[in-house]
Amino acid sequence: MSLSSKLKEAWIGLSAGTVTLPYPLAPHPPRPGFRGRPVFDAARCIGCGGCASNCPAREILIHDPCQELRVIRYLGRRCTSCGRCVEVCPEKAITMSESFELATDRLSDLEQRLTLFMGSCQRCGRCFAAPTPLDALKLTGYRVDDLEAGRWVCASRSAPPGEPAPDVEIEL
Amino acid sequence: MLKALCRRMMSRSCWVYHANSGGCNGCDIEVLNVLTPYYDAERFGVKLVASPRHADAMLCQGPALRSTALALRRAYEAMPAPKLVIAVGSCAGGGGAWFDSYAVLGGVEKVLPVDFFVPGCPPRPEAILHGVAVALGILGKSVSPRPPLVQPTFPFPRYHPSGEPPPG
Amino acid sequence: MSAELLSAALLVVLGALANVALVLLSAPFFQGVQRRLTARVQSRRGPPLLQPYFDLLKLLGKEDLESGEAPAVQRVAAYLALASILATACLVPLGFPAPLGSAGDVLLLLYLLLLSGVCTLLAGAAAGSTYSWVGVSREMMSMMVLEPILAVALCVGAVHARSFRLEAVLDGSPWLSGAPVSGGLMLVVMLLAFQAFAGRVPFDVAEAETEIMDGPLSEYSGQKLALFRLAQMVKLVVYAALFVGLFVPWGSGWPFPLGFLFFWAKAFALVVLVALVAATHARYRVDQAIRRYSVLLAFSLGAVVLAALGR
Repeated sequence: MSLSSKLKEAWIGLSAGTVTLPYPLAPHPPRPGFRGRPVFDAARCIGCGGCASNCPAREILIHDPCQELRVIRYLGRRCTSCGRCVEVCPEKAITMSESFELATDRLSDLEQRLTLFMGSCQRCGRCFAAPTPLDALKLTGYRVDDLEAGRWVCASRSAPPGEPAPDVEIEL
Repeated sequence: MLKALCRRMMSRSCWVYHANSGGCNGCDIEVLNVLTPYYDAERFGVKLVASPRHADAMLCQGPALRSTALALRRAYEAMPAPKLVIAVGSCAGGGGAWFDSYAVLGGVEKVLPVDFFVPGCPPRPEAILHGVAVALGILGKSVSPRPPLVQPTFPFPRYHPSGEPPPG
Repeated sequence: MSAELLSAALLVVLGALANVALVLLSAPFFQGVQRRLTARVQSRRGPPLLQPYFDLLKLLGKEDLESGEAPAVQRVAAYLALASILATACLVPLGFPAPLGSAGDVLLLLYLLLLSGVCTLLAGAAAGSTYSWVGVSREMMSMMVLEPILAVALCVGAVHARSFRLEAVLDGSPWLSGAPVSGGLMLVVMLLAFQAFAGRVPFDVAEAETEIMDGPLSEYSGQKLALFRLAQMVKLVVYAALFVGLFVPWGSGWPFPLGFLFFWAKAFALVVLVALVAATHARYRVDQAIRRYSVLLAFSLGAVVLAALGR
């Protein structure tokens, strides 16, 4: 640890120049394949709810206000950009964008809300009768998440519709 | 008069206290990356200080755990006004993927009043730098509220078996 | 009171104010240069040169939380730290003869410098937290070995100049003998110890940021922290001025702008050297640091013996 070696070290550091990126004054895009925010496309979504079932942070909430309407709400705050919703979506309605400049003082800026028409019969106006009780579960919407409070709620048949089932109430 | 001066100088010199209340250290590493030569934060006057009493802004990572909530609150109260709290990462923003764990109370906003959120898991160092720049007023926000998305062909027309024209 | 006494007193007061203003305004700039240079050695851009001014101005407006066990003593420590170092600045020639140079001698200078060190101890002791106490004990250990080195350096000068008066000693006195062996030895010792006097890496063990949360200053906030930080910056400038006055005084006799600028160029070079050494070293542990200071103290005692023998 002699003096000359330290001076040489200082000289090497000084002559290397600066490696600082000019970000944020100049854009610095990430490498391709970077997972930023998922972007939902309402035109392609069929309302299957696969994204909501697969989200590990339970950031996608689904509520059926009536038989024909399904509201899907993506709250952005806990999203870990894992991409499971993108993989699972059968219609490729979700794409992973590369946007990462998401700082905000209001969490409502990160939200995306989709309102979807769930197909009912074009002749009689009722939903299709499901062949099995299991399919009936899927059609009538087993997810009654609390959209306004942002709460993930799993309602079992034993609870009145719209109210959280007491045994599986999860506080967010 | 001094307080007005302090507010004006805050955008040029912000001392940051880094508080990890139970995260996985991913966001920690990204925050420390911001202080390295590539993403140099010191050129904006941002310095990491060791004691919350010297700090202006608190960078919180990790969710608020049952065990660390009190310590986090005390660190916040030890900071002198005017102060900023920036919640970095998805854990600090709402609990992350562990929001329903027995040890996690939730995001850091359950314990402190948060001023800015920087989502990501972990957010890139550029994202954290952007977040700090937005918090200090150097840059404007890049996200804005999106209008609700509605399917373009809504509702479908219905044909009644009696032959009446569909309504609307 | 006669007119000339009054005018002399006025001149002294104005000179003292000029010294104080000069030191207060230049100290943050020197620290800005140090921070920028450290950043460049680390291959990054670094803060603007005026950054410490922004930092101090911002600190002045922050809320002052009177935490710690003895807030009154904390207040006293903060005011005394800046006051003692500014008083020292009035005694030291800064490119022109010191305004209060004949008001005291070398012993007063030593006591004032010691007082500014004791203020850090007071600050840490008054704060009362564990980290402050650790910082206080480390600072005490360092001071016990460092202040004698400074005292011996001034003594070597005093022995050669045959007087304790500041104008005589702070004018290149170690070089006054025929064969300046003691002067050369003392120069080397002081250069090696200068980093410790400035309180910078690798010898800033008393105020280790990452280890003990800023040590004695961890319970300070707002204006008092600004006073302490300013006192630290001014301390570096005063020590640099002392070093230049003792060991590199050539050129101070030149007419006003040249001599003044040359003096400050020398002090600036010393500050740059401190920054370069700080950027390339790691922090020493407290026992390693004390061992190094003890070796330097032994050599400096050898230097004073040589000085007494006339070399």
